Amino acid sequence: MQPLHGLLDMLVLRTLVMGPLHGYGVAKAIKTASTDALDIEFGSLYPALKRLELKGWISAKWEDTDTGRRAKCYRLTPAGKKKLMQEHAEWHAFASAVARIMGSPAKERP
Amino acid sequence: MFWRKLRYLLPWVRRAEDREIQDELRALQDIAGPRELGNLTLAAEDARATFGWAWLDHLKQDVAYAARSMRRNKAFTALVVTSLALGIGANTAIFTFVESVLLRPLPVRDPAQLVVMKWEAQNYTLATNGMSWSTGGSTRDNGITRASVFPFRALKAFQDSTDIVAAAFGYFTVERLTFRSDEVTDSVKGHYVTGNYFQGMAIAPAAGRLIQPADDLAAPEAVVVLSHAFGQRHFGDAGGAVGRVVQINSKPFTVIGVTPPAFFGAEPGAVPDLYLPMRAQMIVEPGSRTDQTYVDDHFYWVEIMARLRPGIDITRAQTVLGARFRSYVDATATTDEQKKDLPALSLQPGARGLDGLQRQYARPIYVLVIMVGLILLIACANIANLLLGRAAARQREIAVRLSIGAGRWRIIRQLLTESVLLSLVGGALGVAIAWWGVRVLTSLLAGSREHFTLHARLDWTVLGVTAAISVLTGVIFGLVPAVQATRLRMLPALKVVPAGAPSAGSGRLRLGSALIVAQVALSLCLLVAAALFGRTLSKLNGIEVGFDRHNVLLFTVRPRTAGYTGPAVNTLYETLRERVAALPGAERVSLSSRAFPMGGGTMARVTIEGAAATPAGQPQSAVIASVGPYFFETMHMPLAAGRGFTPQDTGTAPRTVVVNRLLARRFGFENPVGRTLAVRQDRYEIVGLVDDALAFQLVEERRPMMYFSYLQAPTPASLMTYEVRVTRNPLALVGPVRDLMRQIDPGLAMHEVKTQAAHIDEAIRREITLAKLGSAFALLALVIACVGLYGTVTSNVARRTNEIGIRMALGAPARRIIRLVLTEALVATAAGLGVGLVLSVVVARYARTLLYGIEPTDPVAIALAVAALVASGLVAVLIPARMATRVDPLAAVRQDN
Repeated sequence: MQPLHGLLDMLVLRTLVMGPLHGYGVAKAIKTASTDALDIEFGSLYPALKRLELKGWISAKWEDTDTGRRAKCYRLTPAGKKKLMQEHAEWHAFASAVARIMGSPAKERP
Repeated sequence: MFWRKLRYLLPWVRRAEDREIQDELRALQDIAGPRELGNLTLAAEDARATFGWAWLDHLKQDVAYAARSMRRNKAFTALVVTSLALGIGANTAIFTFVESVLLRPLPVRDPAQLVVMKWEAQNYTLATNGMSWSTGGSTRDNGITRASVFPFRALKAFQDSTDIVAAAFGYFTVERLTFRSDEVTDSVKGHYVTGNYFQGMAIAPAAGRLIQPADDLAAPEAVVVLSHAFGQRHFGDAGGAVGRVVQINSKPFTVIGVTPPAFFGAEPGAVPDLYLPMRAQMIVEPGSRTDQTYVDDHFYWVEIMARLRPGIDITRAQTVLGARFRSYVDATATTDEQKKDLPALSLQPGARGLDGLQRQYARPIYVLVIMVGLILLIACANIANLLLGRAAARQREIAVRLSIGAGRWRIIRQLLTESVLLSLVGGALGVAIAWWGVRVLTSLLAGSREHFTLHARLDWTVLGVTAAISVLTGVIFGLVPAVQATRLRMLPALKVVPAGAPSAGSGRLRLGSALIVAQVALSLCLLVAAALFGRTLSKLNGIEVGFDRHNVLLFTVRPRTAGYTGPAVNTLYETLRERVAALPGAERVSLSSRAFPMGGGTMARVTIEGAAATPAGQPQSAVIASVGPYFFETMHMPLAAGRGFTPQDTGTAPRTVVVNRLLARRFGFENPVGRTLAVRQDRYEIVGLVDDALAFQLVEERRPMMYFSYLQAPTPASLMTYEVRVTRNPLALVGPVRDLMRQIDPGLAMHEVKTQAAHIDEAIRREITLAKLGSAFALLALVIACVGLYGTVTSNVARRTNEIGIRMALGAPARRIIRLVLTEALVATAAGLGVGLVLSVVVARYARTLLYGIEPTDPVAIALAVAALVASGLVAVLIPARMATRVDPLAAVRQDN
């Protein structure tokens, strides 16, 4: 079980469930969704998008945005959806495992 | 996914994707706020990396960059590439030789089963009354005689040991046979081989059939097998020669077959042109002497090899065959003294054939291998030093690149690419040099020997070794500066520090000095070796040969090839001698069976009648030399007593002999003139006594010698070598002599035309080769090392220009400046000299057997080497040091790096 590996991939896939977004949109969406807790640098996010596209989990297409500009928008593919579900399950298992250990605030023993 | 990745291997797909990424990022830039997206170049770079082929792009960039910087720094590139090319080239050439001479097995089936027979004894004269030196030769080492020739009947003792050997076969080399076919005459080299020779070697004919036991009976068949190369040379198509009748020494022989192209006989350096049945000698050279050789148990002449039975190892064969050989020689010994010192059999692995060439060249080649290995080391050290200097000069560039986010690995990789590229270029050039070097080496080793066909050619193994050396050199020595360069602390290097502050350079300095020490030490070793070989050569040139070698022209005549037989042969020899003597420019003319030193020949047991018992009661052998009238006068050999030969010493006159002092002394005579000398059943009157002169080899103990008049030989000699004493420039007489011979008989040819001095040089070809190559290598090493020294001081000066300027502005004298910039190089050189001295004394011992007349620790040679190194080293460091004193203080102080 290695859920931390590909954490960024998971976040991107999860974000794209809501609908297609361009690269910058994904970064913003993650930031907003995490109430500014996660501020992923675009420089790291962008290669991740390319990686996911190469794996066939997302696809990209030039589209007009709400503001009327053209941008390359990414959406989840069926394979991507399956992958997300799997990641989700794994993450829950991992998170609850960590929570069992870290559940109560630790007190240092004197 | 794999296929999608593979798609990106196509450059245009990659380019299209690249454009797509640029477009996308530009579009996003318009949407996002400024600086919102961060370093987009890096993002694009990382995105491209996901395709998996980034390394290819990087490699391309690196190679392009490296090529650019190589072009920019032409001097640096040239220095590195040439030192590497010379190092690698010399190595490849020498390795090619090692491979072909020492390592390549005979091209026969199961060569590992072959053994070569040899023997050892304290004193060969006890058991043998004559020995032919033609091929196997014998060596005397610390009083032990080793030889590879046997009496013919010893072969039977081995052949009967069927429990050990599958086949024991013999051969005998004859250097000059006259081969004629279709009016084309050739002087060829032949092997007389026993009927089972080719069965023992286990090779199949390329055409026709090979010699079989039925060809080699008491009444031998007049058949001949040609070597593939000779068949091709002589008939154009080797196979087409089968069935033809040819003349060998004017006797008809039928060509029955051709050996396979790869087969070169039993000796890698001596390929015979043709093979005759062993007993066909009785056809080629009929006479009782030939017949006698097959039954004389004291005449050692046949070389023997054997193929062991499967499962028999050489140790077991040695034990069993050794015992059988012992009982054979024991039966041939006639006195108790002889029985005390019988030749003892010694088996050698025969997979690589008889080691005539190997024995002669193995050690020189190993020495050359070591020398070129050292050169490669020096070259590598030099390259490392140059790359270090380069890395130092690029510290700022690298610091800048690191600080703007270049990966350390990326920079190391780029520096590595540069050095690998350099070594590949050097390696390619090196192969070219090697190709050329192999040719030069072959001709150097072969000299003017007619039959020298060493199969040395560049092959894949050698190329592989070279490629490995060249790439490894680049990687190893490219890595050191690369790692060092990226380890530097960024800040001090970025700041415009006055150069000379030892911020990051001290590690480099230590390594640089160590490299200089190594270079100087290794160069000194090579210089010492070269000096030793040079001194050996001059000692060899100083050897008293016993006659005046200057201003003598040599040429050989073979009357049989022009159809002369019987008494006409000697008449021709005498006519030619008189007519040549009448030519203007010719002072004296004589002739001998061979040129001196003879390279080999026959010794026979001899006695002088009326002599008191010889010192140890030992039988004495003496070298047989057959010479013409006025031989001693022509050669300027002083006669101590009596007279030399005249045209009157013919077959009808009383038989005469001239002996040398050593022979006379062996029998206790100061002046034996007038006494009778006996060889076997023949008696000769001693008419003259000459001073000792060389016989077989240039370097050997003087041998007892007896000179006979060739006119009194039982049968006329098939060839004679003329010695023409001239007033000056012997070769100027070649044209007139050739014209004269054409006048006498157009069918006569001048063979082996050379000067007597050149003939002697052939005897020391090995030493000349070593001295020449050794000096060339040493010079090479010296130049490379001096380049290293020069480079060190130059970079030292460049690094400290600022400091020098300040010192000069403050009034420091030039002397002090020079000392400032030289200290490092001089200390390193001195250390290198010390290390080198120790090293060369240790190493030189292994070359002892290659030296003549001097010790490996010869002080003159060492002094010469040190002097050469110090002198050229000083020049190399003083040039840049002088430049330092001409630094303009104002400019230097103002210079801000």
